[in-house]
Amino acid sequence: MTKTVFNRRGFLKGSVAITGATLAMPSIARASSYPERNINVVIPTREGGGADRNFRAFSSIWKTKLGVDFEPGFFPGASGRVGYEVYMGKNDPDAYNLIFGNMGPEVLNWAMQAPSFNIDDYFYFGRVDTDPCALFVGAESNLQTMDDIIAEGKKRKLNVGTSRMAHPASIGLLSLGEVTGAQFNLIPLSGGKNTVAGAVTGEVDFSVLTSGSVIAAGDAVKTLLVFGENRVGDALDNAPSMNSVYGTDLPEMLSSRAFGIHKKAADDHPDRFETLTRTFKETFEDPALLEAYVAARGTPEYLNYGGVEDCAAFKAAMLELGAKYKALLSGA
Amino acid sequence: MGETALILSEVFLDVIGYWWVIIPTIFLGLIVGGIPGFSAANTIIILMPLTLAMDLQMGLVFMVTLYCAARMGAGIPAILVNIPGTAGAAATPLDGYPMAKQGKGQQALAISFVASSVGGLLTTIIALATMPILARVGFYMHSVEMIVVMLFGISLIASIAAQDMLKGLIAGFFGLMIGAIGTDVVYATPRGTFGFLELYDGVPLIPALVGLFAVSEAFIIIEKKVIIREDAEPKNPNWHDTFEGVRIAVSRWWHIGWTSLIGLVIGVIPGAGASIASFVAYQQSRTFSKTPEKYGTGHAEGLIAPESANNGVTSGTLVPLLVLGIPGGATAAIMLVVMQFHGVSFGPSLFESQPKIGYGMFMAMAVAYFLMILTILPLSRYMSHVTTIPTIYLAPLIISFTLVGGFVPREYMFDMYLALGFGVIGYIARRTGYHVAAILIGVILGPLLETYFLRALKKSDGDITTLFSSTIGNILWVALVISLVLPIFFDWRRKKRNGPEIVVQ
Amino acid sequence: MAQDPSEKPRQLGGEMVIPILAIVFTLYYFSTIWNSPWTAQVSAFLIGGILLGLCSLFVLRCVVWVNAGKGSFGFSNLVNMDDIRTGRIGLFIATVLFCVLIEPLGFTLTTFLFLLSSMAVLSKFRNLGLITGIAALISLIGWAVFILAFDTRFPRGWFEMTMEAMLQNG
Repeated sequence: MTKTVFNRRGFLKGSVAITGATLAMPSIARASSYPERNINVVIPTREGGGADRNFRAFSSIWKTKLGVDFEPGFFPGASGRVGYEVYMGKNDPDAYNLIFGNMGPEVLNWAMQAPSFNIDDYFYFGRVDTDPCALFVGAESNLQTMDDIIAEGKKRKLNVGTSRMAHPASIGLLSLGEVTGAQFNLIPLSGGKNTVAGAVTGEVDFSVLTSGSVIAAGDAVKTLLVFGENRVGDALDNAPSMNSVYGTDLPEMLSSRAFGIHKKAADDHPDRFETLTRTFKETFEDPALLEAYVAARGTPEYLNYGGVEDCAAFKAAMLELGAKYKALLSGA
Repeated sequence: MGETALILSEVFLDVIGYWWVIIPTIFLGLIVGGIPGFSAANTIIILMPLTLAMDLQMGLVFMVTLYCAARMGAGIPAILVNIPGTAGAAATPLDGYPMAKQGKGQQALAISFVASSVGGLLTTIIALATMPILARVGFYMHSVEMIVVMLFGISLIASIAAQDMLKGLIAGFFGLMIGAIGTDVVYATPRGTFGFLELYDGVPLIPALVGLFAVSEAFIIIEKKVIIREDAEPKNPNWHDTFEGVRIAVSRWWHIGWTSLIGLVIGVIPGAGASIASFVAYQQSRTFSKTPEKYGTGHAEGLIAPESANNGVTSGTLVPLLVLGIPGGATAAIMLVVMQFHGVSFGPSLFESQPKIGYGMFMAMAVAYFLMILTILPLSRYMSHVTTIPTIYLAPLIISFTLVGGFVPREYMFDMYLALGFGVIGYIARRTGYHVAAILIGVILGPLLETYFLRALKKSDGDITTLFSSTIGNILWVALVISLVLPIFFDWRRKKRNGPEIVVQ
Repeated sequence: MAQDPSEKPRQLGGEMVIPILAIVFTLYYFSTIWNSPWTAQVSAFLIGGILLGLCSLFVLRCVVWVNAGKGSFGFSNLVNMDDIRTGRIGLFIATVLFCVLIEPLGFTLTTFLFLLSSMAVLSKFRNLGLITGIAALISLIGWAVFILAFDTRFPRGWFEMTMEAMLQNG
C-alpha cells in the first residue's frame, strides 16, 4: 500500500507486461473483439461528489457506443494523488483500465510535488467538460464590485478563500493581483463547501472557486469575475471574463474533467485506443448526452469535447503555470 | 405569524403521513449508525438512486430520519461494547461503557435514547424558532474564535489525566502529535506520513477510533467471562432498568437542555461537527458538576452530555443549510445535492419561495425524534443482552467487526492495518495506565485545532497577537480560563467544607 | 479503564513504552518537516516540544523511583504468562493473520477462519461445533451485507467468486 509498494508492484507488473507482450504478439493482432468485458475507471475523488455525477451521466451514453459498461472505483485522498498512484501502479495497461480525472487541480499537483510515476506515462484523451473558475463575494459583503475589491486591495492585503493552494482558481487570482496591483493573501479553506462558507460568513474577504460550486451556492453569493468565459450568463450573475476586463491573455483557468489512459496501453493496443477515442467522440454527437446531463442536474453549457491534443495542450499549460507560481503556492 | 402557524400545521400533517417511511428508516438508521464506518452520509450516497427516485418530500423525510437515527444508533455499540461508530460518539463510551460493565447497560441505553431524543427534539424546536438569529452565529465564529472552542474540548485531556497528571498529559500530547500526521493545511507539505499516501489527509478517524477503543478493549476483556463485572449485582432482565434509565434522564432535563444547546450552537458553525460538540459538552458538564470525580466511572450526566450534544448538532447543521445554503456537515452536504437535484435552490430566499421545504425539514426531524423514542426505548432491554455474551465469542466478534468498520469508510486495506496498529497502541496504553480517551481526544481535535490555528495565522501574516484580536474571541478566552480554574476552586471549597475527608472513588 | 496504579512494585519498564514510542515518533516527525515552510512546522514544533519535555520528565521520574526502590524496569504489567494462558497471544496472532490473509483468501473465507480459530483458542478448543456454526453464520451475514448488498471493495477470493458465478447462472 505504500509508495514503495506501488513502485515495486508497478515495476513487477511492468516487467511482466513487457515479457508478456513479446510472447503474446499474436494476441494483439486478434484484439479486434475489444472490448469484451467491462471497463474499470479509477476516480480519484470520493463517491457522491461532482466527478461521480459527471461520470455517471457521461458513461450512461458512452456505454451504448462501446457496448460494455463502465465500473467506477473511487480512490480519494491526497488531493487525487492516491487515485493516480493506484491507477499507474496497480492497474494493467491494457485499455480496460481508465482514469477519470480533473486536468486542472490534479495536474497542478505534479508541478508542486512529482508523483512516484513518470507523468508522461499517462495522458488524457477525452475531455468531457470545462468549468471555469470564478471570483465571488458573500451576498452581504462590503465589497460588491470588482472596483471595490481592487481599491480595497490597494489599501490592505485582502484575504481570499480558495479550496486549496494548488488550484487553477488560485492561479487566476494571483494573475489578477499581478495585473491590477491589488494585494491578495490566499487562504486555503479545504474544499468548495468551506470556501463558499468562508466568503458568506466573512471569514475571508471573498473567494475563488470553480464556477460549478459557485452556481450551486445560489443567491448566498454574488459572482464578480470569471477566469475564463462565462457560458452560463445569469447563473454567474453575468460576470465578465478576466481577459475582457483587464486585457490579459490568461488561458482559461478550468476545472476540466477528462478520461486518461496509460501511454503503454495506447502504444501496445492502438486498435483498442482507436475504439475508445472514436466512441468517445460519438458520445458527444449524440443528443442523448445533453439530456443525460440535464437529468443529472449538471451544467450542460460546460460540456465541451476535447481530443488528445486539446488535453495535452491543457496539461502542458497547467504544468507551466504551476512551475511559474510554485513558490507562492507551495511555500517552498 | 398566523400564516407560519398554518404552514407548520400543514407540514406536520404531511410529515406524519409518512410514518410508514419514517419507522423503517429509523431501524435502518440505527443499524448503519451502529456499524462503525457506515455513517448516515455514506448510506445516503449508497442509496442515492433510491433517494433520487423518491418524490421531494419523501426523500427529505427519509434523509432527515436516517440522519437522526444513525446519530442515535452510533451510541449503542459505544455504550455496550466500547465501539463508537462515528467520531461524534467518541465521548459516549467515557461513561456509557463503565455503566455497561456495571451491568447497567439497559439503563445506560435508556438514558442515551432519552437524552438523544429530548435533546434533538428540543434543539429542533429552538432552531425552528430562532433560525434567523442562529444562522448569524457563523458570521461571528471565525478561525480565531474556533481556536478557543477547540481548546475547550482539548482541555478535557487535563481533567481525564487528573489521576497521574504527567502520564495523562503524555497520552494527550502523543495523541495531538499523531493527529498532526498529514499534509499541512496551507501548503500541503506532507509531514510524518512514513511515505504513505493514505495518511496525506491525516489519520483517518474511524480506524483510530475503533482501534484505540474497541480492538484494545477486546484484548482486555478476554480475561473475564463476560463484559459485566463480577461484582455487578446479578439480576433478571426486566423492564425496570429501562424505566429507571428514563427516570434518571428525565430528572436531569435541565442538563439535557443546556448540553444540547452547546451542540446546537456548535452545529450551526459551518465546518465544526459532532465530535467537538460532544467533547465540549462533556467538558462543560464536568466543570459545572458538583461531583466531577464521578465522571469516567459510569456517571449518568457524563453520558447525557455527549449524547444530547451530538443530537443538538444534527438540528444545528440544518440551519446554515436552509438559511444560507451552506451545509454545516457531510450529511447536510449530501442533502443539498439531493435537494438541488429536485430543483430546490437553498439560500436566503428559500423560506419565501418554498416555505414548506424549509419548515418541512425541521418538522420531519421533530417527528422522527418523537417516533424514535417510542420505537427504540422498548428495544433497550434486548440490546443490552450483548453484554452477557461470553467474551470468548464477543472478543473475536468485536475485533472482526471493528477491523471491517475501519476499512469501510475509505475502502483501503491500509486502514485495516491502521486500526490494528491503533489497537496495539491502545492495548499498551491500557495495560500501562495511559488513558486511551486522552490519546483519542488529541487525534480527533488536534487536526481541527491546527486547521483553525494556521488559518488565523495565515490571515494575519503570521502575527500571533491575532489570537486576541476579536471581542468574541476574547470573551471566549476568559470563559476558557474560568472553566479551567473553576473546578480547582470548587474542589478547594469542597475540601474546606468537608474537612479532611478522603474522596471515595 | 486504567490499571490500578497502586500495584507494587510498579513495573516502570512497561510504563515507559508509550513515552519512548512518543519520543521516537516525534523525532521522526521533526525530521520530515526540517526543511518545510513555517506553516508545516509551527504547531508541530510546539506540540512536539512539549511532548518531548513531558516524556523526558517521565523517564527521569522513573529513574528516580527505581533508585528509591519504588519500582523496577520490569515489563510484567504489559506481557506475562497470563497472556498465553488466556489465549491473548493466540488471539493476537489470529488478528494479524486476518489482516494479512484477507487479500489472498478473500473477505468471507478469512472472516470465517479468523472467527473459528480465535474462538477455538479462547475457548480452549471446546464447543467446536457451536463455534463453527457461529463463525459460518457471521461470515455469511458479513458476505451478504458487505459484498452482496453494499458491494464494498473488500478483497474477493474463492468464496466470493464461486457465489458470484452461482448467482449469475441462476
